[in-house]
Amino acid sequence: MIETQLSELAAATEARIAAVTTAEELEAIRVEVLGRKGRLAEVSKDMGKLSPEQRGVVGKLLNAAKQTLETALTARKTAFDEAALSARLEREWLDLTAPAAGAGLGSLHPLTQIQAEIEDLFVSLGFTVLDGPEVETEFNNFDALNIPPDHPARDMQDTFWLSNGHLLRTHTSPVQVRGMKKLGPPLRMIAPGRVFRNEEVDASHEHTFYQLEGMMVDKDVSVAHLIYFMKTLLSAIFKRDVTVRLRPGYFPFVEPGFELDIQCLICQGAGCPVCKQSGWVELLPCGLVHPNVLRLGGIDPEEYSGFAFGLGLTRLVMMRYAIDDIRQLQGGDLRFLTQFAF
Amino acid sequence: MKFSYNWLAEHIDGLTVPPAEIGKLITMKTAECEGVEAHGAHFEHVVVARVLTSEPIAGTHLAVTSVDTGRYGVKQVVCGAPNCRAGILTAYVPPGQLGVTTAKLRGVDSDGMLASAKELGISAEDEGIIEFAAGEPGAAIPGCTGDTIVEIDNKSLTHRPDLWGHHGMAREVAAIAGRPLKPIAVELPAGEPAVEIEIRDAKLCPRFSALRFENVTVQPSPLWLQQRLESVGLNPINNIVDVTNYLMAELAQPMHAYDAAKLQGGRIIVRVAEEGELCPALNGQTYTLDPGNLVIADAGGPVGIAGVIGGGPSAIGEGTTTILLEAANFHAASIRRASTKLKLRTDASMRFEKSQDPENTVRALARAKWLLEQVSPGIRLVGGLADVYYPLPAVAPISFDLVWMRRKLGKPDLTAAEVTAILTSLAFGVAEAEGRFTVTVPSWRATKDVSLKDDLVEEVGRMIGYGNLTPAPPLVPSVVPPLPPERTYLRGLRQLLTAQGYTEVYNYSFVNEAQAAELGLPIEDHVRVVNPIAQGQELLRTSLLPNIKRNINDNAREFESFRCFEIGREIHARGRELPEEIPHLAAVSFERHGDGAANLFELKRLAGTIAPGCTVEPAEARGFEHPNRAAIVILRNEAIGRLFEFHPSMVETGLAAVLDLDLTKVQALRTAAGKYQPLRRFPTSAFDVTVPVAERELAGNVLARLREGVGPLALDVRYLYDYKGDSGRSMSFRITLGAADRTLTGEEVTAVRSQVMSWMGL
Repeated sequence: MIETQLSELAAATEARIAAVTTAEELEAIRVEVLGRKGRLAEVSKDMGKLSPEQRGVVGKLLNAAKQTLETALTARKTAFDEAALSARLEREWLDLTAPAAGAGLGSLHPLTQIQAEIEDLFVSLGFTVLDGPEVETEFNNFDALNIPPDHPARDMQDTFWLSNGHLLRTHTSPVQVRGMKKLGPPLRMIAPGRVFRNEEVDASHEHTFYQLEGMMVDKDVSVAHLIYFMKTLLSAIFKRDVTVRLRPGYFPFVEPGFELDIQCLICQGAGCPVCKQSGWVELLPCGLVHPNVLRLGGIDPEEYSGFAFGLGLTRLVMMRYAIDDIRQLQGGDLRFLTQFAF
Repeated sequence: MKFSYNWLAEHIDGLTVPPAEIGKLITMKTAECEGVEAHGAHFEHVVVARVLTSEPIAGTHLAVTSVDTGRYGVKQVVCGAPNCRAGILTAYVPPGQLGVTTAKLRGVDSDGMLASAKELGISAEDEGIIEFAAGEPGAAIPGCTGDTIVEIDNKSLTHRPDLWGHHGMAREVAAIAGRPLKPIAVELPAGEPAVEIEIRDAKLCPRFSALRFENVTVQPSPLWLQQRLESVGLNPINNIVDVTNYLMAELAQPMHAYDAAKLQGGRIIVRVAEEGELCPALNGQTYTLDPGNLVIADAGGPVGIAGVIGGGPSAIGEGTTTILLEAANFHAASIRRASTKLKLRTDASMRFEKSQDPENTVRALARAKWLLEQVSPGIRLVGGLADVYYPLPAVAPISFDLVWMRRKLGKPDLTAAEVTAILTSLAFGVAEAEGRFTVTVPSWRATKDVSLKDDLVEEVGRMIGYGNLTPAPPLVPSVVPPLPPERTYLRGLRQLLTAQGYTEVYNYSFVNEAQAAELGLPIEDHVRVVNPIAQGQELLRTSLLPNIKRNINDNAREFESFRCFEIGREIHARGRELPEEIPHLAAVSFERHGDGAANLFELKRLAGTIAPGCTVEPAEARGFEHPNRAAIVILRNEAIGRLFEFHPSMVETGLAAVLDLDLTKVQALRTAAGKYQPLRRFPTSAFDVTVPVAERELAGNVLARLREGVGPLALDVRYLYDYKGDSGRSMSFRITLGAADRTLTGEEVTAVRSQVMSWMGL
């Protein structure tokens, strides 16, 4: 009796499962037949009334029916899920060639970039990076660098004088004095920063530009060391082997003082318009630190010596990117500045 | 400073260095050569010529001439000079020289040119063609030769008083070329001084020397002298003045010639000027002096401003027959101060401010006497040398060891003989024994240039040639350099900003008054530039905003939207102290269209990435800010900056918001690296609360009030959204609860919820 009922139910349900068209109908059948209070559950409730032998037989049938139906259900459910997923994926077609929303990468100012690059180079050589104020005392900017009042060398640097009796630093060299006092010997330091000259502005002259001062003080620092060091450093900056030469140059805070030229990178020294046919390009002033400057920095010139140099960062930027108008650097024009996003 | 090769060569025995190479040698060993150019190469081809006939061309100022040129035959030349006439001897320039071509002028053939002194490069005289008193057609122009002019950068001569004259430069070239320098005679006949000299301040005037001459003829100098002065950029004037200029260019000793008949009294006084004293000068100006000026005076008052310019009334003129010739020495810094104050830089003051050699005065007078006798026939010296001299303290001999010199240069194989030879060639006195040197400094290097052994390193180094040193790596200890945290911080910040789409701008440290006033920045808070040379440089910026505003308006024309930033220093006046320089960030978000909210929230988001945990609080708007869109940015209860939109009247188009942060404060207040917090082991519970609020209620205030009322179990209170409906405005928040040691029960969560609802009055 009960066996017949069971097999009929199983067969009918199987037919219904095969016939459903939606996942919801399928779920309704599952609840109706296989649910906790479903029809199979009802059948198993009635089993208590059967004899132990019958119970064994019906139990087996019941399990078999359950398994058959569950397999059928799962198969249909999987089919429905897969269909739903592929429908969704189809709907989610996207045009990835459309532009991305939001801001792209901003760009660092080219001076920031070159300064960071050169700072890293010096740090790797054991130099510390110091900072100095834009407004300096006359003493630090001139007197402490062996340029007393009314010294004709003051003409070399047209100065912005200020209402508070001070001045806008004309070079980063005052940081030499600050650095010597702060660090004591031996020392290796650089000081990059903004400097000012009271000049008319045109495509190749600016009143505001960037320099990097460097100084090494130790026992037995010589001119030969300076040449080696500058050659190594400049080769790293220009990313190629650089030929340098020193010739006499007058800067009161060094003795001896030099102009350092590099062999023209455009013509390799053969002569071209960039180097005015000389084969050499004047690059930076340098020299052995004047004993008076060491003394003012609290360092005994009999015990220590040192070299110092000043690198023009603005000039390097212009050389590297072939910028033909210096005013662009402080013009704030984003058409120019966004070209340096890399 | 221009140097004539011929002139230099006259001072050197057997100079063989060709003119083309001299510039490079000087550059490598002495001072920077800016250019080498030929001067007067045409004198090889230009000849003396006689004008045979000269007929005016009707209707023009021109004349057609027939000229006997000797070397080139008889030529037809058209000439426009007023003094062109038959019979005179003049200069003929053949085609191919000085740009002259065979041409047709007013239909008349002209084969060459008759030239003025100016056209020939002899003097500035261009009133007519040059005339010679004697000569043969076809002969070279007397006294004029081709030369090579070497231009040396004045800046590189700043420390070398001796190189402001040819003799000094010749000494360098002689040393470089290994040839002897010809000495200059310093002999003067003995005699009673023809003038009395009184120096009132020996510091300001260590030496004053003078000679008196009579039977003077004032006339143009011979052509060789004119051409030579012209070639080095000095204008020939007359024979007497030309001699003083010649010696200035030769010996670096400025000189002055007075018309002795126009000097009052028999005495020359060198003294400081009285306040308001007037001095009429050679250049036609009258200068009002003060005690900062030194004057040369006679009984009637100043006859010259010492070391700067001579007086007008006693200047040499056509009627001059007796002269007083001065060669003096003055204190460098005082001359420089005086000339700066008078705004009068002369060839004399430029030399004196470099600390000239007082030993030079008599040498120059002796040489002047010799030269005057050539250019003013019949001139006679009256009496002898007048000379008052207060010698400067001598520079002590300089001692050093060869070993020390080797170490300074980095040249271990340097020999004592090399050092001795170099220093001797530069006229230093050298005594050496076993590598121990004692060096005496010649007077022309002793005024300021050379006093230390380090100064001698330069002399030896440059003459050896720095290219002859072997580069060597310095031996230095390997140390990790101490790096200032500010730099590391600012570099990281710049990276953070560009990664978020902001482009860095650099602006000047200057603003002008109008810019400051427009943003209501008090003018008196600014440090002021005393000597701006261009507009827009009057003040140092106390805020980045004036220039940022300019950036916004400049770029608004080009871009629909942009983001940019500047990191720069505000400079705040602190009386006579150095000002305070505070690093600031100004970040801009600009959109040409839209309602501006996106800009402000973008910058608020940015602020949160720079100063995590910062909040904003509405603030009273400043004049240039949108009255309802200005806020203070707060971190740990301290204001670190401002977030605002520019007032629509400040931007030409679009909407621009700005975040302005004080980076010193941000850096000091930002979270330091701390210890790790163990992760929560028990699950959290959350519920949402919707609070009806007034139309302009601030989310920040509601949030703050909720945070006050949520109790100790609340882990997080978060704003979800704002809703505006028919029943008014409401805000929803999510409150997350949890405990470190257990899972909260449903009852606990409900209790907190009820407590929150009643706290909020819901």
